[in-house]
Amino acid sequence: MQELLPFITSKINDILSGLPFFWPEVFLSVLFLVVLITGIIFRRNAAAICRIVSVLGMLFIISLDVPQLFIDPVTVLPLFSGMLTLTHTATVFKLAIDVISILLLFYFAWDKQLRAHKKGLGDLYTITIASILGLHLMVMATDLLSVYLSIEFVSLASYLMVGYKSEQGFSASAGLKYVLFGAAASAVMLYGISLLYAFTGHTYLGPQFSQGLEKLNGLSVSFALVLLMAGIGFKLSFVPMHFWVPDVYQGAATPVTAYLSTLPKIAAFGMLLHLLSPFMQSFTWAGFDFQLFFSVIGLITMVAGNFAAVMQQNVKRMLAYSSIGHTGFALIAIVTYSPAAQSALVFYLSVYALANIGALILASYFANVTGAENVDGYKGLGFKLPAASVCFVIILISLTGLPVTAGFIGKVLIFQAAYSNYQQIHNVWLMALMGTGALTTVVALFYYIKIPLYLFLRKADDNHDYHVSNQSLLVAVILISVLLVGLGLFPDYLMKWL
Amino acid sequence: MNILTILIFIPVLFALIIWAMPSAWRGSFKFITLAATLIQLGLALFIYFHFKTGTAFGGINQEAQYQFVQKTHWINLALSGNTKLQIDYFVGIDGISLAMVVMSSLVMVIAALASWEIKSNLKGFFILFLVLDMAVIGVFCALDFFLFYLFYELMLLPLYFLIGMWGGVRREYAAIKFFLYTLFGSVFMLLVMIGLYLSVQDPATGNHTFNMLTMMNPANYIPGSIFDNVNQFMLFGVHARTLGFIILFIAFAIKVPVVPFHTWLPDAHVEAPTPVSIILAGVLLKIGGYGIIRICAGIFPDVALSGAYWIGLLGVISILYGALNALAQRDLKRLIAYSSISHMGFVLLGIASLTPEGIGGAMMQMVSHGFLSSMLFFLVGVVYNRVHDRDIYSFRGLSTLMPRYTVFIMIAFFASLGLPGFSAFVAEAFSLAGAFKSFTFNGLLPQWLAVCGVIGILLSAAYFLWTLQRMFFGKVLLKGGEVWQLALTDLNIRETLTLLPLALLAFGLGIMPAVVFDNVNDSVLAMVHFTTHFMTK
Repeated sequence: MQELLPFITSKINDILSGLPFFWPEVFLSVLFLVVLITGIIFRRNAAAICRIVSVLGMLFIISLDVPQLFIDPVTVLPLFSGMLTLTHTATVFKLAIDVISILLLFYFAWDKQLRAHKKGLGDLYTITIASILGLHLMVMATDLLSVYLSIEFVSLASYLMVGYKSEQGFSASAGLKYVLFGAAASAVMLYGISLLYAFTGHTYLGPQFSQGLEKLNGLSVSFALVLLMAGIGFKLSFVPMHFWVPDVYQGAATPVTAYLSTLPKIAAFGMLLHLLSPFMQSFTWAGFDFQLFFSVIGLITMVAGNFAAVMQQNVKRMLAYSSIGHTGFALIAIVTYSPAAQSALVFYLSVYALANIGALILASYFANVTGAENVDGYKGLGFKLPAASVCFVIILISLTGLPVTAGFIGKVLIFQAAYSNYQQIHNVWLMALMGTGALTTVVALFYYIKIPLYLFLRKADDNHDYHVSNQSLLVAVILISVLLVGLGLFPDYLMKWL
Repeated sequence: MNILTILIFIPVLFALIIWAMPSAWRGSFKFITLAATLIQLGLALFIYFHFKTGTAFGGINQEAQYQFVQKTHWINLALSGNTKLQIDYFVGIDGISLAMVVMSSLVMVIAALASWEIKSNLKGFFILFLVLDMAVIGVFCALDFFLFYLFYELMLLPLYFLIGMWGGVRREYAAIKFFLYTLFGSVFMLLVMIGLYLSVQDPATGNHTFNMLTMMNPANYIPGSIFDNVNQFMLFGVHARTLGFIILFIAFAIKVPVVPFHTWLPDAHVEAPTPVSIILAGVLLKIGGYGIIRICAGIFPDVALSGAYWIGLLGVISILYGALNALAQRDLKRLIAYSSISHMGFVLLGIASLTPEGIGGAMMQMVSHGFLSSMLFFLVGVVYNRVHDRDIYSFRGLSTLMPRYTVFIMIAFFASLGLPGFSAFVAEAFSLAGAFKSFTFNGLLPQWLAVCGVIGILLSAAYFLWTLQRMFFGKVLLKGGEVWQLALTDLNIRETLTLLPLALLAFGLGIMPAVVFDNVNDSVLAMVHFTTHFMTK
């Protein structure tokens, strides 16, 4: 105990100096408590008031995030003796997460199935704010302990969100599958983390960490790193940690699916960029070939996700497999790992998140109005609900990656980053990844176009007339479609911020 | 305001007008579309009459020689790590684009007139029609590869819906087959496009650029880049430039279409409604030919020279295979679809020869086939609208029932098979002359290829004349009997007004081909000069 006394002053100074860069997270915790208490105080209108409070709170948090953008991009600020690090990439990821979370906070109240929940949505908002705090921590984590802590933070919040709607058999089993699979993945990751700590004696992911690992037996180091990647793979849903995705996405309430398919993925990619930096930036690292690892995983994930989606009839399940395919494509940027690739990755993920949320909002819309969960049920709806159907076409074109939408620009940026890298290092895996990315775009078109096929090319069986009471979903989706086409024509406006 | 930009985007303006109009006024949508296409034709003719000819306006790889140019900064993405993505809005035309633009504008007017038969979901149809119109004209005018690719892909989605919603019995299958097939080609074109972007640098600014004209100049390639022609880069055991050319050629060969990438065409053309078939056959096929000239031969002339024999061979195979298939058809529309494949084979043969006559003939064939195939598909549509049957064996002796129709179909058939006095004769004669001459001019194509091509003319005479005899001459004998006899009225005023200009053009271009050749000639000569420059190496 006595030997720690000289370190106490420096540690406390460390913590206090890190606080000014930690304001968004501090205020997120405060917001969490505020929303929690609001939910308890206002029993009757809990959902509406909690929603207003959380949205206003998130807007305030964004205003705290924005000044961090203007810190010089080269500076790397370790906070709290290296547990978290604030870099420009981390700030951009945080901003993307916050903006998308506002969209999701609005979306929660528009889904009929969630709204019909007995207990009301107040708690859901609380859990979401807590998960956003976890996502922020994930993006900034550079210590093995903070990596594990933040992943668990987000996982716990996600388990609760998935379990929020679990009356019927399928939803309940989906929630349980998620918890069990997630717990197993976390356990495996923790084992990997403990091995890595045992190997190096450090938990901070800095140059000493990678140097410590270099001195050891390649096989044991690879084993430990693969176990660590298992936990990250669970959040990113790459093969072989993707088996939970279709059932959970289908069983959870659609807004929760929208959350799961976007925010944790974005945060996990941000975390992966930080995790890999000591290895990719060291010139002497020859242990575990991360590029080869992620190339193979990326290839298999792209192929598995896209080809499996072809056979799906349920809209949410198809979108789940397609999100696995998108993860595979985004891994091309991880394999490339240049600064250009990192910007391209953020653009691609933001645009993908926007389009995916739009697609799920439309799935909600069609389920609300017509009760259709399978593509079959969309027959002929293009003529009865024209605005929603046209927006669906635009959003699906963006997900496929065809001009003139933002999804195409995202693909071009990632291809361009991969190509420049290829010209320098001539890694044949990059060529294979790009070719597979192109090929799976064609496969993706086949299943994405199934929805417009049923909407416009098939005639409805009966002559129902549909009356839509709440148009907020449609308004949100029209805004998203306009934004996607606008960004497809003038991507400068988004790229400026990234 | 640049006239090309107005020409490209005017259909979108009219599409917005149609979108804003209430459904109660749906009777006016076809007139609005017709007005849009007529205005576009007017602008195209204005450009045609103000187009300057002469050796100083050849174009091809000289940016200063293009006319009606507009180049503005469009996308300027600054990625971290000092990488930039800079894309310009760069449009301009030379002789080759001019012929295509004027022809497309006219075909669009014909297609708009043919759209009278569409009865359901008019708003959607005409909006998609006008978006397709914009994309098509944009493809021919774009000189920036990214812009070209954008317009090229933008054609696919409206066509999917146009075929899939208003088409025939197997429309869903035809639409998705067309979409997937064409997307397969173009998605790999995207990879080559980005590779080319990273391989060239703008001599003025030193940045990478998508400017097609910069890519045509070998001096602009960065040493050590993928498509550099000095240090031959190998990719999967093949020279990178050869691989790039093959990928681009496959993408455009799917569009032309070249056998064996043609299997989407019979389904798409047959199942599409008449106006869409007219656009498909009249314009879209030419985009493939234009792409091969402008992009494949322009950016990779070295590979085009070494591969000229194979391209010529594919052209001859298309001519013969398409014609033989047409000979076996019962469905009139399918016969015309296969004849399109056959006639586009002449285009490929002409381009492969890389002689002035060959490329000039290819250009003429593209223009002539544009008009003639529009005429043929329109004529098929006339009968189909009346009795909903296209089978050749269902009709006999139609000349007695519909004499005016017979006159037009005789003109169309005789023009298509290459009767002297009509435009297709000039086109096919020049293509074959170029192919024949190529042996002595640049040593690229053997002479027997041209001889085989001539057999194609004989075969097209066979299937056209046989169809003419079976369907039109002889005693009246109809499958539907009395009902059909009453339904098969002769051409009405709208149909005559549509067909008359086409017939006159087919005849006019046949006796005065200078109308096309005068404007195209400088660019064709510039193209030949440009490629011969690579042969001396």
